[in-house]
Amino acid sequence: MMTHGLSTRSVVLLAIGIAVLVALPLLVKSSFAIDIFIRILLFSFIGAAWNLMGGYAKQLSLGHAAYFGLGAYTSTILQIDFNISPWIGMIAGGVVAMLASLPIGWLCFRLRGPYFTIATIATAQALMLIFLKFRDFAWGAEGTTIPNLGSAPLMMQFETKAAYYYVALGLLAVALIITWLIERSWIGYYLVAIGEDEDAAEAIGVNAPRMKRDIYMISAFLTALAGTFYTQYIYFIDPATAFSFNISIEAALVSIVGGIGTLWGPVIGTILLETTSTLLQSWLGSSIGGVQLTVYALILMAVILWRPTGLMGMIDEARHRFVSRKPAQA
Amino acid sequence: MWETVAQAVINGLLIGGIYALVSIGVTLIFGVVKIVNFAQGEFVMIGMYISFFLANQFGIDPLLSLFVSMPVLFVIGVLIQHFLIRRVLGPNDMPQIFLTFALSLLLLNLALMLFTANYRTVHTSYSDEALHVGGLYIPVAKLIAFVVAMALSGALWVFLHTTDLGKAMRAAAQNRDVAMLMGINPNRVFCVALGIALALAGAAGSLLMPFYSAYPFVGQVFVLMAFVAVVLGTLGNVIGALIASLMMGIAESLGVQYVGADSGLIVVFAMLLLTLAFKPTGLGGGRAR
Repeated sequence: MMTHGLSTRSVVLLAIGIAVLVALPLLVKSSFAIDIFIRILLFSFIGAAWNLMGGYAKQLSLGHAAYFGLGAYTSTILQIDFNISPWIGMIAGGVVAMLASLPIGWLCFRLRGPYFTIATIATAQALMLIFLKFRDFAWGAEGTTIPNLGSAPLMMQFETKAAYYYVALGLLAVALIITWLIERSWIGYYLVAIGEDEDAAEAIGVNAPRMKRDIYMISAFLTALAGTFYTQYIYFIDPATAFSFNISIEAALVSIVGGIGTLWGPVIGTILLETTSTLLQSWLGSSIGGVQLTVYALILMAVILWRPTGLMGMIDEARHRFVSRKPAQA
Repeated sequence: MWETVAQAVINGLLIGGIYALVSIGVTLIFGVVKIVNFAQGEFVMIGMYISFFLANQFGIDPLLSLFVSMPVLFVIGVLIQHFLIRRVLGPNDMPQIFLTFALSLLLLNLALMLFTANYRTVHTSYSDEALHVGGLYIPVAKLIAFVVAMALSGALWVFLHTTDLGKAMRAAAQNRDVAMLMGINPNRVFCVALGIALALAGAAGSLLMPFYSAYPFVGQVFVLMAFVAVVLGTLGNVIGALIASLMMGIAESLGVQYVGADSGLIVVFAMLLLTLAFKPTGLGGGRAR
């Protein structure tokens, strides 16, 4: 999206899109379908959070589960031990994640490229080990269930899945608005410059370490919100789920497949991957382990080898071809 | 007292030999091709499954299956470089990182589909044998693995320093552009580097089989260790990776002995984080060689 303002056409499209998304749970009653929509919204949200740092500044983290887990554990500990609402816990979790991203970033940003990626994997794994080992404040490996209060909107517990759908939709909207604002401001251009060539960006006066630190904090904050939401949604938390490597993988995967460093990339990537995974499950059943990730890996390889700009790149290409043909005919 | 320490050091040193084979592969690829192979651990896993099936179906000793797993993985390495990695080499890191990462994801999950998550073991006549030297206990299978691993590392060093192809690889590692001007074919050198690195991973797998279980996720343990060793030993430095791997083996073993059975990985992560904090260029300091 290179235009600076919003054209009338995109406003209309956006309004239609929002109307459809808001009306969806009223039209679709199957809780199976709503569950899939919630997964799509949630992973689009996590992907969008990852994309801010991984997509624009090309700092390819595979450790975002660290912040997902910190968010999940902060709100759960506050809820169970101090009876504080997860709505507040969610923000608290975001702040904890933001603060945690400072030392983690300080360590990991000492390395560039693939070794940055490895360092982020290691920090997320280390956090998981800490939560596995210290059982006094975080229930150890068994984890804990969230007490079910029935219908308690103030404690982020709802009777219908539709309510969770709207929370996830709200989260995604926040992430997309933040992305949109960053993308069209100087911050976005600085981040892209760092992503293209960090040394060159520094040479023209971009304070790369500070930019990377700040965008990492925003990305961590948002990812933590997803952690709280997910725990409230499944009523359960343990280190293996909260710090699951699969969260880190999926955050990066949806963005790359959809189109790295684009506003809508993570959303489109998630729709493709989650739909594929749902179809696979209904065809093959969930009996065979590894099928879903095998297919994800193949899609990822295909994208990298043939379409490094992802699905957004393909959509743009198609649109340009369509647009450039028109004047020729006129 | 000293015996417990010495025993832990010996255990660590022996397993460190296996870590060394994996790390040397990672650092060789990084030095020559300038990419990090996230899938290196999965090739250890493939080596283990090759040895497992040869032992299970034909009764071949895992140590003999080294002569199968190494050539097979060498060929796989050449093919992967020629058909996959060659296509993503460029100034941008992203495709390289996620191509080898996707490869790791693919191989791991294919193994899960084909072989299930069950643990597979091979029992050999020497699996339970041990030497007793002055109160110390040295398992024969681990000792053989260590000796063969060191012999292979030594052979690689000789290859890199005495043969034309080895020298060409070191030249390409030092300065790719100048090496190309001297008439070195980069793709050929890269293919050999990938082949050797994967053959070493395959060897690690076969050597592990008499005393370790094969399962789809087994490579993750070794690759994490290798990544830390490669940072610690200075990226791209073969000798550094070897020494760092042995140190990591010892540190892990002492951690298990004195901190607790499940703390091996914590020690490894602590070492990585300390290295990053104080010596991000590795113990050798300076640039990768």
